[in-house]
Amino acid sequence: MSAEILKVSGLATSYGKIEALKGVDLRVESGKVTCLLGPNGAGKTTLMMTIAGILQARRGSILLEGKQLVGLSPANIVTQGVALVPENRLVFPQMSVRENLLAGAYQRNDKVGIAGDIERMYTRFPRLRERSEQLAGTLSGGEQQMLAVARALMSRPRLLLMDEPSLGLAPMVVADIFRIISELNRDGTSIFLVEQNAHMALQVAHHFYLMEQGKVTFDGTPGELAEDEVIQRAYLGTSRRSDP
Amino acid sequence: MKKTAMLSAAAFIGINLVFPAAAAQNIRAKADVVCEPTKENLTYDCKIKLVDARTNAPLTGVTLTVGADMPSMPGVHNLRSVIAQAQGDPGNYRAILELEMTGVWALRLDITGATRDRVVKVLRFGDD
Amino acid sequence: MDDHVVSVLSNIGVISFVALSAYLLLLTGEISFGQQAFFGIGAYAAAIATAMWGWPLAAGLMLGALAGASSALLVGLPTLRLHGLYFAVATLAFAEMIRILLELFHYQVAVDGELVGPNGTDGFGGIRYVFQNKIGAFEYMLLIYTLLATALAGLWLLERSRLGVAFRMIGGDETLAKTSGIAITRHRMIAAALAGALAGIGGGLYAHLTTYIEPRIFDIMLGVHALAYGLIGGLGTALGPLLGVLIDIGLLGSTRLFSGYRMIVFGGLVAVLLIFRPRGLLNEEMVHRIGSFWRRVWPTDPSQKSHGKT
Ligand SMILES: Nc1ncnc2c1ncn2[C@@H]1O[C@H](COP(=O)(O)OP(=O)(O)OP(=O)(O)O)[C@@H](O)[C@H]1O
Ligand SMILES: [Cu+2]
Ligand SMILES: [Mg+2]
Repeated sequence: MSAEILKVSGLATSYGKIEALKGVDLRVESGKVTCLLGPNGAGKTTLMMTIAGILQARRGSILLEGKQLVGLSPANIVTQGVALVPENRLVFPQMSVRENLLAGAYQRNDKVGIAGDIERMYTRFPRLRERSEQLAGTLSGGEQQMLAVARALMSRPRLLLMDEPSLGLAPMVVADIFRIISELNRDGTSIFLVEQNAHMALQVAHHFYLMEQGKVTFDGTPGELAEDEVIQRAYLGTSRRSDP
Repeated sequence: MKKTAMLSAAAFIGINLVFPAAAAQNIRAKADVVCEPTKENLTYDCKIKLVDARTNAPLTGVTLTVGADMPSMPGVHNLRSVIAQAQGDPGNYRAILELEMTGVWALRLDITGATRDRVVKVLRFGDD
Repeated sequence: MDDHVVSVLSNIGVISFVALSAYLLLLTGEISFGQQAFFGIGAYAAAIATAMWGWPLAAGLMLGALAGASSALLVGLPTLRLHGLYFAVATLAFAEMIRILLELFHYQVAVDGELVGPNGTDGFGGIRYVFQNKIGAFEYMLLIYTLLATALAGLWLLERSRLGVAFRMIGGDETLAKTSGIAITRHRMIAAALAGALAGIGGGLYAHLTTYIEPRIFDIMLGVHALAYGLIGGLGTALGPLLGVLIDIGLLGSTRLFSGYRMIVFGGLVAVLLIFRPRGLLNEEMVHRIGSFWRRVWPTDPSQKSHGKT
């Protein structure tokens, strides 16, 4: 097995008395795309938020290349090289596209590097260049998701966390997103992806986890995933589950 | 942030130069005000007695204007000042006020001329 | 200039400070019904300093700003972690508490044979600095507007600074601001203190403008208006709340156009705007459009267009 960039062990997170994560163990390999599947309410978002430091873990550890992230502030975790594209394609609606990108680079202060990165984002997402002065709240859903990804990339992450980037988007746009995911990965970014669309995920991911009720219940390669009968029925069957 | 701090420092010095601490002693005025309703709705007849606060001598030879504000809504119900007429004994004045509504009003008595001062008197108008 | 015009303009200038104070918090996404309390604290502090301790006006105003800022921090400690409605209610409760404390506040000294100082519900009169020092009404109005311009310049710089970007990020989406690495509570404390200072200066100016203050002046009515000014005028620029004040005091208040009905007209205006234009007349979109129009008329070097990160 190759080197891991992220290792989560025994991680538990609660909302008051409700324990949403009940001891999660998983690892994200360096330079690979790892995908987390799971039904609604399984705790996928909770896991992402805990890794990003927005939620506090009650137990367990999160190691980024051996460095403990539990207890660090979200700002610190961003500086360590972890960026989150949150669920529901969050952008700052009252700020322009360019300002959103600058916001993503808030932890950096290399002015020249930031300007160069904005240019790079515009090359990767030409639609954003056209709309650079437009307010983010007036972008289409797909454009907002592109902006959310670009914004996260502005902090130059080594590990990109993506929480359901295809949620509620048209098939064309979903295809775009997945093309970008594999491009980013080819350029060397490790990606930890939460996805309900297992069909699409199968095209990019190198490793899969399934989470149910706050626990990892499956851990395997794309091949193993495709062979697992239960998963096949729930995630790859013809009856596609509706979005929440 | 540094710029803001410097701006405020400059403003501070500027104001101190333009508006230094009290030096010249003006006469301080003191006032008694009684307002009676008139036949007109919301119109009041106010009798004002002005004295020098230090000597209690009637204050004469000044121009008195009377305006009003509502303390319950600062800055908003700003009643245009009317000139009060000297009447009867020295230091006695009379002004007719047309209010916007009943309630508590802070009368502004502005004195100009020989001395300059403002006295505020809070009165309740109307029966509620 | 006509005395009444000077008086109305002075009021507009002074009330603008509370409006700016509420606006600053709206930027960080917080609805405070309590900024009138810091206006009141600033008024009392500045008035005590000049009328009772013989301080010069500028020092009094500085004390008012400081008192506003520090009490805002004190109130902020327990409230700034609250969200939405809870925060709004908590700020209101604290403001009312402060007002009641002012009603119980008695501290008077004899000046020229007259007792001067806070006297509970009977108010605090004789704040005569401006009159004692022969400062004309027009001159005092100029002072108000000089300070207001300074405050606006400060806000203009702030909104283009890293701190201002952080404020807007927090106001735009708190979770996302957190993911971008912004320390939410610390920034909210800074915003609260700045807003408290703005309200405090305004209060100090108000006390010296009217020469008379009392706790009732600083009740919820003023707080609601302060908030409404930003919501009507717009949250896209600091000029928004000023526009709100101008509409209310300048247009509705002083023309007597709707005399007895002006509160109803004002309330209706707020309601209509909240439905059709929730971020006010001069909202971000409007400001943006004006900005790009401006750039088209006066093209600048495109590399200069970006903001923040200085
Ligand atoms: N803020 C919260 N307060 C209390 N409980 C919460 C909160 N957020 C999530 N939960 C609960 O925690 C559990 C996990 O939620 P989470 O959002 O992590 O699920 P998810 O796997 O991301 O679901 P989805 O696919 O719908 O996005 C759920 O039972 C949810 O009800
Ligand atoms: Cu009103
Ligand atoms: Mg989720």
